[in-house]
Amino acid sequence: MANSKKPALQKQFTVLLVVIAVIGAAALGWVATRSGGGGVAVDPNLPLGTAQAFRLGNPDAPVKIVEFADFECPACGQFAMLTKPDVHERLVKTGLASVEFYVFPLPMHANTWSASNAAYCANEQGKFWEMHDRLFYTMDLWNTQATKNPDKKMKQYAAELGLDASKFDECLDSQRHYPNIKASGAEAERQGIGETPSFIIGGKKYAGSLPYDEIKRLVDEELVRLGKADTAKKGAK
Amino acid sequence: MLIAVLALVGLFVAVYLWMFKLGLIGSLSCKIGGCDKVNTSPWAMFLGQPVAFWGVLYYVGTFAAAYAATLERFAADRRAALLLVGLTGWGVLFSGYLTYLEAAVIHAWCQWCVVSAIIICIMFVLAVWEWRRAE
Repeated sequence: MANSKKPALQKQFTVLLVVIAVIGAAALGWVATRSGGGGVAVDPNLPLGTAQAFRLGNPDAPVKIVEFADFECPACGQFAMLTKPDVHERLVKTGLASVEFYVFPLPMHANTWSASNAAYCANEQGKFWEMHDRLFYTMDLWNTQATKNPDKKMKQYAAELGLDASKFDECLDSQRHYPNIKASGAEAERQGIGETPSFIIGGKKYAGSLPYDEIKRLVDEELVRLGKADTAKKGAK
Repeated sequence: MLIAVLALVGLFVAVYLWMFKLGLIGSLSCKIGGCDKVNTSPWAMFLGQPVAFWGVLYYVGTFAAAYAATLERFAADRRAALLLVGLTGWGVLFSGYLTYLEAAVIHAWCQWCVVSAIIICIMFVLAVWEWRRAE
């Protein structure tokens, strides 16, 4: 560079680079501390519990939609808010399909274990899906960027959903479902799931969020394969 | 000089994405909503390491080359300009591949990846301009 022949300019340029480097490093440091980083405080020697599928709909429905999701994953939240209501109304309530939901906590989401634990504890009182919806709809209020104490938010949600507070708090604090959450994640990995949300419909895996029309098409295909195409015609659109 | 500045900015973007992969930050700041999906997809890994890790190495190398090219002893050396054209040209190809994956395979956009791709494209244009000027 012609400019580099001027030592004074070179010195100023080096100073400019140092200033940019300091600002950048400070910004990254701020982001790391603000987000309460450090990962998930989960015992690596946690025993493996039982992977549990949370079902929505008739267990004898001809098609099963298996979903693997992380409560702190924005794409999963979008699916829960935008697509799941249609799946519920048009496919589950019409008896065409059932949904089986597996928790798949990703390592970069520090608060997802608290949220998963809350969902399992709500399930003890028969309100898994109510907590599921509440968690996804309010993700930005309890995720890693929002708080370092997500359990406090979970207890607030439990109260708002009408759960028995003492039982819920005892369940949440005991972390007794952590082995089951770990097992659920292990089940996802065993099935070759690499991202959230992911789905298994008709025995085939689909990575990433699916729009309702695509899910409907896959369900219809599976109904045809099962020789129940008439069921699809009578069912939802 | 501008290439070195851009490489430094790109380095911070890559470090930010790498910190996410390491679990040091919970969620990426993402206005368009697809960052987590892109960065947790199978294509966020390359040769057994996060793509962001390779991005950090790439930007460190490009920054070093760009800074060296500003030093007086390399001012008349066309090889320095040619090295930058090669580095940034490779970056454009790889960024193009990643952008294709976002658009056609993952169906989600990571704004930080797009920022990185834009930085690399600008660096490439500057490097070619610098190289032609050195001729």
